Amino acid sequence: MRLMFDLPERENAVLSAVVHEGEKLMYCIPFNILEDKFVSGFIAITNKKIYKILDDRLLAEYTLAGAKDFRTEVMYGSCGFYADFGEGTTLICQFVSGRHLPRYAVIVKACEILAEDQSRDAPITNSERERFCPKCGRPFVRGTNICPYCLDHMEVYKKVFALTKGLRLMMCFPFVVAVFNVIFQFVVPQIQKIALNNYILNETTHGRADKMTEFVFIVAAIVSLDLFHRALAVLQSRLSAITGNKFTLMMRTLLYEKIQSLSMSSVQRKSTGDLMGRINGDVNVAQDFIVNQLPNLFVQVFSFLTGLVVMLVISPIMALFIFVPIPFVVFLISKFWKSVQLRNRRLWVLGQRTNHLLQDILNGIRVVKCFGREASEIARFKSASVKHAAQNERNAKVFDTVFPLLGFAIKLGSYFILMYGNYLLFNGKMLVGELHQINSYANIIYAPLMYITFIPRNISNFLTSLSKIFEIIEENQEVADIDLPIDIRIEGEIDVKNVTFGYESYNPVLEGISFHVNPGEMIGIVGHSGCGKTTLINLLMRLYDVNEGAIEIDGVNIKDISQNALRTQIGVVLQETFLFSGTIRDNIRYAMPHATDEQVIAAARIANAHDFILNLPEGYNTMVGEKGYSLSGGERQRIAIARAVIHDPRIMILDEATAALDTETEKLIQDSLNKLTEGRTVFAIAHRLSTLRNADKLLVLDKGRVAEFGTHSELLENKGIYYKLVMAQRKMAQSVIEHQGIAN
Amino acid sequence: MAEDKKTTAKPSTKPKNDILGDGEDDGDLILENQRVSIALTPENAWFSRSGGNLISLKIINDKGEEEEFERVVVLRSFPVTNPDEFLSVREPDSKKQGRGKEIGMIRRITDFDEATRQLLSEELDRRYFTPEIQKIMSVKDKFGYLYWEVVTTAGHVTFVLNNPFSNIRILEDGRILINDIDGNVFEIRDPANLDAASLKKIEIYL
Repeated sequence: MRLMFDLPERENAVLSAVVHEGEKLMYCIPFNILEDKFVSGFIAITNKKIYKILDDRLLAEYTLAGAKDFRTEVMYGSCGFYADFGEGTTLICQFVSGRHLPRYAVIVKACEILAEDQSRDAPITNSERERFCPKCGRPFVRGTNICPYCLDHMEVYKKVFALTKGLRLMMCFPFVVAVFNVIFQFVVPQIQKIALNNYILNETTHGRADKMTEFVFIVAAIVSLDLFHRALAVLQSRLSAITGNKFTLMMRTLLYEKIQSLSMSSVQRKSTGDLMGRINGDVNVAQDFIVNQLPNLFVQVFSFLTGLVVMLVISPIMALFIFVPIPFVVFLISKFWKSVQLRNRRLWVLGQRTNHLLQDILNGIRVVKCFGREASEIARFKSASVKHAAQNERNAKVFDTVFPLLGFAIKLGSYFILMYGNYLLFNGKMLVGELHQINSYANIIYAPLMYITFIPRNISNFLTSLSKIFEIIEENQEVADIDLPIDIRIEGEIDVKNVTFGYESYNPVLEGISFHVNPGEMIGIVGHSGCGKTTLINLLMRLYDVNEGAIEIDGVNIKDISQNALRTQIGVVLQETFLFSGTIRDNIRYAMPHATDEQVIAAARIANAHDFILNLPEGYNTMVGEKGYSLSGGERQRIAIARAVIHDPRIMILDEATAALDTETEKLIQDSLNKLTEGRTVFAIAHRLSTLRNADKLLVLDKGRVAEFGTHSELLENKGIYYKLVMAQRKMAQSVIEHQGIAN
Repeated sequence: MAEDKKTTAKPSTKPKNDILGDGEDDGDLILENQRVSIALTPENAWFSRSGGNLISLKIINDKGEEEEFERVVVLRSFPVTNPDEFLSVREPDSKKQGRGKEIGMIRRITDFDEATRQLLSEELDRRYFTPEIQKIMSVKDKFGYLYWEVVTTAGHVTFVLNNPFSNIRILEDGRILINDIDGNVFEIRDPANLDAASLKKIEIYL
């Protein structure tokens, strides 16, 4: 992210006039709102002071030394940058949120550092992505680094070309067909002309039956040309279906492989819908363009140009008549097309709204009935439907007028030709055959116009889709193995050394975390929601890399261990027990697809799942997941545990593994957990502290830091956060018992 | 509501002396020191300009004690439909204490004298910065984004909109709110007052 913008000359003069010797400009960022106006000003930060500059004026200056409480506050539509310079909180500047909030968040941190230490002269940097094109300032396509305006078209084409290896010969074929197609279009009218002039309309041939044999040849020529043409067309559609499929298959596989290998952080930045969209939608757009649009485009442009050349050769005056209306027709088509598209989109949106409303009401039907709001919901739905219907009607009206008119516009040229051609005909300067030929050519020239006006839009859609695909294919793996990763057999000793981490670097979730775990110990992680428990677990699994510090397993930095070795020796049970569609056996074997049935049963026994599985009609072969047998939460959880232990992991992670269960089931699972934690290093997160009573040590996190670390009794003696939590939960339990007592 | 607060506050006050001792450091684990929001009137609340040119407040709280706040934040409960009533006066958020708590609520801004109204309006106008569109120079649709060039009460601006049908909201009273991609909010107070050329450019999106 840019933290040093270039000051324009005028502003720079203001700054150089006030800056003292020994002051170094560290950061310079824009602000855009002043009082009730949009402005284009700058905040310049040196190692001593903050300057607020607008045009040729210095609006304010603040001294960094001793300043405190730097912050950004999100307001309605904009944000403020505040700090306390000794006279209470002051608004330094106001800015548009979307564009600059992340930037100011980094600046807050930078100012905090400078306020404490003005001798520091190395600016902090930030690798966060800009959401706006640095060249033109326009927004990137959502969730990408693509600016449709500044896209280097050649670059994308080159990449596509590289990808089409092995398909190129097949892809050339449509172009061959296209060339023939055009030739055919122009040759047939030529033959027709001969037929008309020399035979059909020629007085001398009338009454001469022997001319029929010659004429048969002419018809045969036309018929065979037509047959050949159609045969080629059949071949082309078959080939393009094959190339299209191959292309799609290749792109999809490539994308999917890449997405699977991407690190958690890159995947999480994009939504599931967005990724699915890229694998399905964008690949389809690219495929359609390469297989259908591109050859078609070639045909249209080629026949248009050939038509023009041929016409110029045959009759320059006629050609002129054809050219004159072209700009007008192109203008009309593009104008109408825009309105047609907008109207269609509007209709679609209204349709969506109606659907959404329907879904909403049907989902909430109980609420509607409970509150007796049926009548008003009927009215609401009716009004949405009426709007949709009205728009539909308006669209139909417009389209039904526009399309015939367009058809008329496209034929304009041929009316001119008809007039001028007949003028020549009546004066004996032209024959009917020629007129027919020229008229056919005029139609050939006009037909592609409709298509050609859509080309820019098609190409831009294609380019955007392609660059979305390439963005993923080319993305660097953030969490990557080193060149020669170590495959170690993990014992389970873990050292966390001064770890700092944030999903966005300016906003650390964990700060300065250090602790040591001996092999085979069970560590309970405690703290209220948002304190960084799950984040710590993510770091232990190396779903993300730490920003500062290191995590060591058996004395080896986890960055040096191959990710495969690491993950196959860590077993995880999460709160949300996601089971894939398939049998119980498949789900248990997920992490170890070649596990024997014996191993499956052993894992299920550890998880206390064996008995309930055998009571299902199909035992281990029972289908579960979306379409399968519906299991209770506790049953699913136990299968998840079996899945986690089947490969005998050295380190177990239990993230709220029992939170969603009732006490009875929790006891069962607790029992199974006790079995599986034997001899393994275990990290367990739990809200219910009773779940952690077997923990050797407890790690209490508070606001991203280690607040307490020690055994249960040590922490109780300490009377800190853990003690409070225990007391609070006991009280809760007591009051529940009391209430129940009253109820009974 | 009031009863809820009492019941959650009680158990935490009792053990405070014997066990919790210095319960200062981690206030939000157990709900203690819950602030009770009061109705702010000219009789119990005095707003003034703070040293940093923002708003300071002195109140007499529900226990009859005088309390001072170096800086308060004023929020609208209904920024779109009822901007001058039900103003929430709060402590600012802070890294240490998290979300700022509500000190009290102003029923109507007109309950207060001219000087106070001025002070509050200044803060509210800044916080709810919503330029009014007066003239639309152009709206261009490119690659699914709408590029606007408009004249507003805050000056001549260009902004970008995606998904026009969900980011242009037409309110029941006919006003139009436009949320751009940067998070700005623009308002068209009365579309009928726009000149014909401006209106024509946006008609299709309404």
